[in-house]
This record gives sequence, structure tokens and C-alpha cells, in this order.
Amino acid sequence: MAERKHMSMSTKRRIGNVASYVTLALISIIWILPFVFLLLRSFDVGNTGPSSAIFPEKFGFGNYIYLFTAGADFLKWYFNTFIIALVVCVVQTAMQFSMSYVLSRYRFKLRKFMMNFMLVLGMFPGFLTMIVLYQVLKTIGLTGANAVPGLILVYVASSGMGYYVSKGFLDTLPKSLDEAALVDGATRAQIFVRVILPLCKPILIYTVLTSFMGPWGDYVFAYTVSLGNEAGMNVAAGLNSWLAPNMINDHFAPFCAGGVVVAIPVMVLFLFLQKYYVEGVTGGAVKG
Amino acid sequence: MAEVIIKNVKKIYSGNVTAVHDFNLHIKDKEFIVFVGPSGCGKSTTLRMVAGLEDISEGTVSIDGEVVNDMQPKDRHISMVFQNYALYPHLTVYENMAFPLRLDKKQRVEPLSPTEVERAQKELEAARAAGNAAKVAKLEDELQNGRQQKGYTNDQIYDRVTSAAQVLGITQYLTRKPKALSGGQRQRVAIGRAMVKDCKVFLMDEPLSNLDAKLRNQMRAEIILLRKRINTTFIYVTHDQTEAMTLGDRIVCMKDGFIMQVGTPAELFDMPANLFVAQFVGAPMMNTVNCDLSREGDKYFVNPYGYKLPVDGEKGKALLERGVQSRPIILGMRPEHIQLARGKEGIPVTIQVNEMMGSEYHLHVTTEQGNKLIVRIPTISLTDEERNSMVNGTQINITFSGKAMHFFDPESEKNLLVDITNADAYELDADIIKHEQQEELPKAEKEE
Repeated sequence: MAERKHMSMSTKRRIGNVASYVTLALISIIWILPFVFLLLRSFDVGNTGPSSAIFPEKFGFGNYIYLFTAGADFLKWYFNTFIIALVVCVVQTAMQFSMSYVLSRYRFKLRKFMMNFMLVLGMFPGFLTMIVLYQVLKTIGLTGANAVPGLILVYVASSGMGYYVSKGFLDTLPKSLDEAALVDGATRAQIFVRVILPLCKPILIYTVLTSFMGPWGDYVFAYTVSLGNEAGMNVAAGLNSWLAPNMINDHFAPFCAGGVVVAIPVMVLFLFLQKYYVEGVTGGAVKG
Repeated sequence: MAEVIIKNVKKIYSGNVTAVHDFNLHIKDKEFIVFVGPSGCGKSTTLRMVAGLEDISEGTVSIDGEVVNDMQPKDRHISMVFQNYALYPHLTVYENMAFPLRLDKKQRVEPLSPTEVERAQKELEAARAAGNAAKVAKLEDELQNGRQQKGYTNDQIYDRVTSAAQVLGITQYLTRKPKALSGGQRQRVAIGRAMVKDCKVFLMDEPLSNLDAKLRNQMRAEIILLRKRINTTFIYVTHDQTEAMTLGDRIVCMKDGFIMQVGTPAELFDMPANLFVAQFVGAPMMNTVNCDLSREGDKYFVNPYGYKLPVDGEKGKALLERGVQSRPIILGMRPEHIQLARGKEGIPVTIQVNEMMGSEYHLHVTTEQGNKLIVRIPTISLTDEERNSMVNGTQINITFSGKAMHFFDPESEKNLLVDITNADAYELDADIIKHEQQEELPKAEKEE
């Protein structure tokens, strides 16, 4: 009796496992298919136009070579995107961390109000401001060919608002560390740089990654601000211009190759920074 | 010389919550002062105001004759040990301890450290042999008078950190990170970090609270030894009366932001100024009962639990000197001052709970009228027969002598035999007041 019950239990578990693995496998296929499609199509030198065939007619690196020839604007777009992402990444990380540190450690008038205000502001979709931003940038001449500084300005301007995650992390670092450093003779700036920042490595890396990837993958703002001027486009907007009706017939496969090349820096960045994603840096700071 | 003078200091938080009321204290050079009291009594707040981690709402704190109210903590020449150690987790023990020295970039004349002295002596010999007169003169001067330098050299840091580590027995852990240490070791590192720099006042905020009982006893003994070595002014905050009694030269007992009494451990134990101090100091707590003090000629009597007992010895004399008349009082007796009445005279009580502590019994007993009290009986004073009879429900007779009685006013809860005047409690003597004439005299302590 007991044995039968045990058997039925294990059979049930096996059926459950099979069902969940099948479901999960299906979901991952659906999820991963576009990437496989993109990768395979990028090697198709036989048919460079749009096609629903997954496997290329003829394998070759021609599309990749095309990306880096003078005729295509890809390098220009790539460079634009890289500059934007790099500058934004540095400035945004610095601003976000200063903001979080101040909100976490200092007490001042309107602190609560400011935090709530920014939270509410953050709830509006960024696109709502697009038209106004475009007009402002146009007035100061930072659209079209000059879109790169314009875009940097747009991305950086609101960077302090993303303080929540890092503030949450800073709040978990005991204040007595700051106080001990104060007594030991550190200034506020020294505390931030020598005590707090080294402890923030995991969240710092998270911030660096997110602030790099935001502008790196942005399409909507970049498209609007560059407004068809190829000199000011980033990769997403530029590649998208290859999908225009007059371009798509011989540019679809290079478009796919461009997509792969765009993914590479982010992947490298992630692989490189991943090893610093170590939890528990704070272990041993205080009893616990 | 590093006296700390705390004058009329108040801490008022926003929302008009007063955490510390008019705190006055003169801490002498090289004195070990303990702030003790239940949680929320303002002891840590006061310490943090001395450290500069908390703003001073009113009054002044001066260290070594200098008012430090507006000084940064780093300019106050203090060291501090925190309850939760506050070690820098990303730095090794060595770097943790070296941290304050590395930050100090002041221009100074610093005597050479042992390693440097050794090296300088070798160089001196070499220079003498080579006949380099200029170098010989320079080295001799440095060896004698120290060197003009900015901050500390790596050798000086090394010598200081290793000698502190040696004192604390943590030499073998210097390369480890704090998370690889036990609680006791972390606390030693924290103390080491506070030790390496030259400070005028050494502040400790409940440094032993996070340790287990056995380690706490051990560290307490080590702090007593450490204090002899460092030989500076200490302010130590604790909620544990045992720590206060064993460590302090003087104890400041606090409650709700007011100083209840300042005195040596013996003064607090033998002559508590009020009922709060009487019950806070000593374990188990002092027994109290409302009763009457009656004067018959030159003799005094009390009537606790319906039994008339004479007040004899010193206490009777003291009452007479003060001309105390018959009046209602709160009578206090410490559990260890109650004895078994082996004859028949005595107060009959029934044992409710019997705690065998090893060296002594703690008996929770009730009188015939239902009053509860605690009695401490040393085990060694009992016969085997008596020990066997100490079970719940047994009736015993107890007695206490007049010299161990404490008399408190039922309303003010003040001890009838202890006068606290501002001058003797806080020792803000005339010299200091003259020294700071711009300030007015400290106001009388408000207790109610």
C-alpha cells in the first residue's frame, strides 16, 4: 500500500516535470528564435533582401564587410552611439550616485518632497516630453546633424531621477561606517570615495550597465532628434533607415549583420563586469 | 591634559523632543567616566555630542580647554569605538587600523618610530664612517628631536599598527578582511583602530553589547588593562550596570535625559541619591516598601511589613544629625543585606521561587501581607539541612540591620541622607567657572 502510494507520487512528479519542461522549452524557442534568425540571416550573401527563410542561401561575411566600407554610414552611426553611450554612462553614474548618497545620508528640508516629486515625474512616459524636447533642441541648434550632443543632453538631464535602486542599496550600508570615518578624520568627499564607493561595487556595476545600455539601444529619441539626417543618427535610427522601401531590397541582410555587431559591445561589457557582481561585499562591516 | 567639560548641554530634536536636559559634567584628565542608564536615557546622544556626530542644541562642550561645538569630529582629537564595530569591510584589518593615520595629512614634528630609529642609527654609523658631517648632523637632529613631516610615513604607520595589534593579540589577523573574523576579534580591531592615533579623549559607545556573555566578561577585563596602557580620558556608554561598576572611576547615571547621580561606583551603591539609582545599580534590584519612619527620642524605628525594626548604627546617627522627624518613607534594602533570622525574631516570609545561582541563592519570597521581595543568601552560609529546606512554599524568617537600610522620600523619591548640590555632583569648580566667565553658572539640576 505504502509502496503504491510512493510510486504514484513519483509518477505524478515525473508528469509534472515533463509538462513544465515542455512549456519552458516552447517559451525559450519563441524567445530565442528572432536572435537565431537575425544571426543566420546576417551571413546570407545570396539573398540580401527581406526573406522569411531562416537558413541563408549562401554563407559568407559579405554583409559584415559591407558594414565597414565607406559606402555605408554604419561606422559613423556606430561611433555616434558609442560616444553618446560612453558620455552618458560616465555622467549618469556619477550623478546618480551623488544623488543617492545625498538622499541616503543627508537630512534637509524638502528631501521627502523631492523624492516623491521625482517618483511621480518618473511615472510619466518619457515620450510625452519628446515634442517639447525636440523644439527646445531645435532652438539651440542641436538637432539633425548636431543630434549627438543634443541626445547626450537629453539622456543626462534626468539622470539623477534614477536614484531609487542605488539609494536603496546605500541605505543598507550602516551609517556608523560614515561616522567612524568622520571620527577617523575623513571629509565627506573622502568618505564617499574611500569608504562608500568601494562597498557599492555590485550596484555601481548595475548602474554602469543600465546607463550604458539605455542610450545604446535607444531608437525613439534618437530617431526624432536626428530627424532623417544621417550624420546625427545613432545605430538604431540608422539601421532602421535601411528598412525604408527603397533600401530594404538589398539592405536587409546587412541590417541583420548590423544588429549582431550592435549586440557585441554590450555582451563584452556584461561578460567583463559580471565577475564583479559579487554579493555580500558588506559582510563583516557590522555584527549580523 | 585633556579635561572634558560639558556645560548646560541640551539636545532638542525637531518636533521639540528633548533628549538631554541641561547636562553638566566636568570630566577630569585621564578619568574613566561611564554613562549608564536604561535605553533612551540620552547617554549615547550625549556621547555623540562630545564626538561631534550630533549637533549640540544648547550649551557647550569643551575638550582640553577649547570649545568644540562647531568643530568637525576629526578636529576634536577623539577616538571612538562603535557598538557595531563599524569596520570598513573592503579593507584588511591592517588597512582598517591604518585608515585614520593615512587620512591625517597635518604638518607635524613626529618622533621617529622604532623601525626608523633602527635605520637612522645604521645610516648614522655609515655617515660617520664616511665623514659626511652634514648627514650626521641631520640624522642626529632627527633622532633627538623628531622629523618635520606631513602626515605619517609608512614605517610609522606600520610600527603603530603592529604594536597596537600586539597589545590586542590580533597580529595574526592583520591580512584578513573583517568578515573572516569573529565578533570578539572584530571588536579588538575596532579598538585597535581607535588606539593607533593620538587622541585626547577615547569614546566608547556600548562596545561590548554585541558580544556574548563570556566574551563580554573577558573583554571587560581587557578594557581595564587597555585603559592603563593608553592612559587617556575615557567616556564609556553602557546600559549594563556591571560594566559601569567595574570600569568606571565615576559613573553618570541617567534617566529620561536627566542626570540622576554622578559618583564613584561605591557612592552609587552605598549612597544612591534617589530611588532610580538605588534600583538601577546592583543586581538583583533593591527591595522597596512603603512604611513609616518613627522617632522616639533619639532612636528611630521603621515598620516594614508590619514589623517594627530599629534603625541603628551609622544610619540612625545620620538621621539624628539631620533632625529627621517621624514621617512616611520608602524603605529600601538590597537583597544581599537581608539575612536569614535563625532565631525566632524576624519577618516570616514564604519562598515562591528559588533560584540556585551556584555561589548563592536568589529567593523570591512573599510576606504575610503579600509584599514581594528578593533575598540573596550565600550558599556557603547555609547548613546542608537548610539548603535542602530551601524549596518553594517553605516559610523562613528574615531580618535586616539598620545600617543597610535606605530611606527615600515617597514623593520626590530622593534619599533622605544624600544631599546633592550642584557643586559636589558635577565638580564644576570655581576655577573653571572663572576660566569661562562669559558663561553663566550652571543652573541647578532639575529632577522633576
